[in-house]
Amino acid sequence: MSLNALLEDTGSADNGYGSGIMDEHTKRDIRRALLSAVAVPGYQVPFGSREMPVARGWGSGGLQITLAIVGDADVVKVIDQGDDAGVNATNLRRLIVGSTGAAETTVTAEASIIQTRHRIPEEPLKSDQILVLQVPVPEPLRGVERDMRELRRMHAEDDYARLWVSLYEDKVRNGVITRTTGYPCMIGGRYVMATTPIPRWDCPKLHQAHHLSLFGAGREKRIYAVPPYTDVEPVTFDDVPFEVERSPGRCDRCGAVGWTESFLIEVPNSRTWVCSDTDYCARRRLKDRRVKA
Amino acid sequence: MGYVAAKGGLEAILAAEDLVRRSRLSGSSPLLGIDQLQERARLAVDRVMGEAGLWAPELAARAFRQAEGDVVEAAHLLRAFRTNLPRFAMTSVVAADEMVPLRRIVPAYRTPPGPQLLGRTSDYTGRLLDLSPEAPSSELEDEGRSSNATGAAATNGTGSTASGNPGGGEGGLTTHRRLYELLRDLDLVVDRRRDIAAGDDPEPYDITRLPVRPGVPRSARLAVMARAETGALVNLWYRNILGTDMHLHEVTLGEVRHGLLPLPVIHPHTGRPVVVGRIRATEAEAIEDLSGEGRDRSRFDVGYGVCVGHNERKAIAMANLDIAVELDAGKGSLEQTVLMTTDALDSSGFLEHLKLPHYVTFRSMVERKLAVREAAAQKVGDDHEAAPMDRAPDAVLAGEPA
Repeated sequence: MSLNALLEDTGSADNGYGSGIMDEHTKRDIRRALLSAVAVPGYQVPFGSREMPVARGWGSGGLQITLAIVGDADVVKVIDQGDDAGVNATNLRRLIVGSTGAAETTVTAEASIIQTRHRIPEEPLKSDQILVLQVPVPEPLRGVERDMRELRRMHAEDDYARLWVSLYEDKVRNGVITRTTGYPCMIGGRYVMATTPIPRWDCPKLHQAHHLSLFGAGREKRIYAVPPYTDVEPVTFDDVPFEVERSPGRCDRCGAVGWTESFLIEVPNSRTWVCSDTDYCARRRLKDRRVKA
Repeated sequence: MGYVAAKGGLEAILAAEDLVRRSRLSGSSPLLGIDQLQERARLAVDRVMGEAGLWAPELAARAFRQAEGDVVEAAHLLRAFRTNLPRFAMTSVVAADEMVPLRRIVPAYRTPPGPQLLGRTSDYTGRLLDLSPEAPSSELEDEGRSSNATGAAATNGTGSTASGNPGGGEGGLTTHRRLYELLRDLDLVVDRRRDIAAGDDPEPYDITRLPVRPGVPRSARLAVMARAETGALVNLWYRNILGTDMHLHEVTLGEVRHGLLPLPVIHPHTGRPVVVGRIRATEAEAIEDLSGEGRDRSRFDVGYGVCVGHNERKAIAMANLDIAVELDAGKGSLEQTVLMTTDALDSSGFLEHLKLPHYVTFRSMVERKLAVREAAAQKVGDDHEAAPMDRAPDAVLAGEPA
C-alpha cells in the first residue's frame, strides 16, 4: 500500500487525528474490561491498553475509557487539577471532541462524561453522569511491595496487613498519617484501591456516590471502577480519624470557605487562595451577581 | 499563570504548535526528504521502526523528521498510527534460517559453518571524524552507483544484494547452518526444542492486544524486548555485568546476523504461501556458559534476540537478557524488570508527565508537612505543658512576617 493511500485512509496529510483514534474492536475490548471492573468494585482489571496520540502518563488510560463509552449524544467535560483550561485538559478535550460526535462543556452539571486528572468536581454528580479518572499509578500497595506476583497474591487473599503496618508506623513516627493524595480506600469492603492522586478532600465524594467512577491507567494497562452507591472507606484506624486537606482561608474570587466548602490552592507569598475547581468557582460568582442584581 | 489557569489554554497550545511547525519547516537549508532520511539516516530510521514495532521505512522516516530527530517521539508517532490499522492477514511462521544475510559474524569460532560476512559495518574502522570537504553531490552519486548497491537495496528491503541472490521463500543459496545446530550436534547445549508433534507449539503472545505481567510465555518476553528502547536494554545488560544484579555471567555470541526475512502469507485461493515482501531484521544468539550456581557445567544454554531493522546492540542485549530471565525462572526481579521497565513509550511518557501541572497534589503534600509539624508541636506542648506553636504554619507559608 502506498503512503498516499494510507494517508487517504486516515483523512488528510496534515490531520493527525483522522476520522477516529480508536477502532471498534478496541472499544469493545475496553468496554469488556469496564464491565468486569464494575462487577468487581475496586479490582484492577488488566486490559490491552493501546497507544494513544497522547503520551503514556498523560491521560492515555482515561482517554481510552472515554473514547470507548462516548457517543454522539454525550456532552464531555475535561478537567486537569479541577481546571477546564489546563493545557492537558484542553488537548484531551479537543482530541475527544475532534474525533467523535460529542459536544463539549465546562459546566459540571451539563456534562454526561467528565474526564479528570487529580480532582473530583465540588458539585455532587448525579446518577446519569460518569466520572473518568486518569490514573498514573493504579497499585495502592506499591509503597509496601513491588513484586507483581506478590501483589496479585495480596489482593487475591485480601492480605492488606503490610498496608496497615505501614500506616501504623507512619502514625507512630510522624504523629499523623502522612499519606497525601491517592489515599488507599477499601472498596465495597473487599479491595483496597488507589484513589488516583485525587486529594483526600475528594475521597468522601466517592462514598455511596450517585455516579459511576471509572479509573483508567493506560501505561500500566489496568482499569478499575467504583459503581454508584458503593462503600468507599479510607483505610485508617478506629481511633485515628481520616483527615482531609482543609485550607485556612477563603477563595479570593468566590469566597468559598477552604475549611468546609472547596479545595483551595494557594497563590504563593500572597496569602490568597483560589478554588481549584474553576467551574464551581465561576458558578458561585455568577450566583452572587444574580443575587446582588 | 499562563499555562495552568488562563482561559487562553487552547490559544497557547496552538501558538506552541505553530512555533514548532514553523521552525521545523523554515530554515536556510532545504527540507529533508523522506528518501534522504531512509538512505542517510538508515540506523535512526531502523531504530524508530524497531521501537515502534512496525516495519514501515517511509512512515518511520516521516515520523523521525516530524519529531525533529527524537527517536522515542518518532516511535510514539508510528505506534499510535499503527494501533488502529486493520490486520489484513497474518504471515505464516518464518524460520530464522530463511534470512538472507547481509551481514553475519560468529565470534565463537574462527571458521564456523558458513561464512564470516562483515557486510555493511564500521565496527572495524577507526572512529575518526571525517573532516575532508563534502563531496559535490554528483560525485557521490557516481560513487554510489558503482559500489553502494548493497546499502541501497538493503534500505528498500527488496531487490538483489551483493551478498547473493535473495532467493525465494524457501531460502535459497545463502542460508547457513547456525552455530546452535553445531553445538546441538556436539551435545553441548541444553535442548530447549519444543515437541511440535505433541502439540507443544503455542501461538505467540500478542503484546499489542494483551497486557503483559510476570509469568507470561517466552514469546511475550521476546516481543517486549524486540520493541523495547535500545538504551534501556543496553543499560539493563550492563548493570547485570558490572552492577550488583548478577544475572549475567560469561556470555559468548554464537550468531549475529542482519539480513532479509521473507513475509509469507497463505494465499486465500491457492492455499499456498506467497512471499508478499521482505523486512530487514537483526538477530543474535547468546551462548551462556552456565557458570551460575547449580547449573549443568557440562553444557551451554542459548538465548535469542531479534528485532526489526539493523540494530545489533539491541539484538545482542536482548539475547543475553532472554537467557538470563530463563535461568532466573522467576526467582528474582529480572523478569519483571525486563517486561515492565524497558518500553520507551512507558518510561519516557511517565517521566515527561512530571511536566504537567501538579499543584493539587503538591498542595496536599504541603498540607501534610504542616500537619506533621503541628503534631510535633502538639507533642512538645503536651510533654512540657508549654504553649503550642505561636505561629500558624500556613501564615509562615504565605510569607507573613514573624
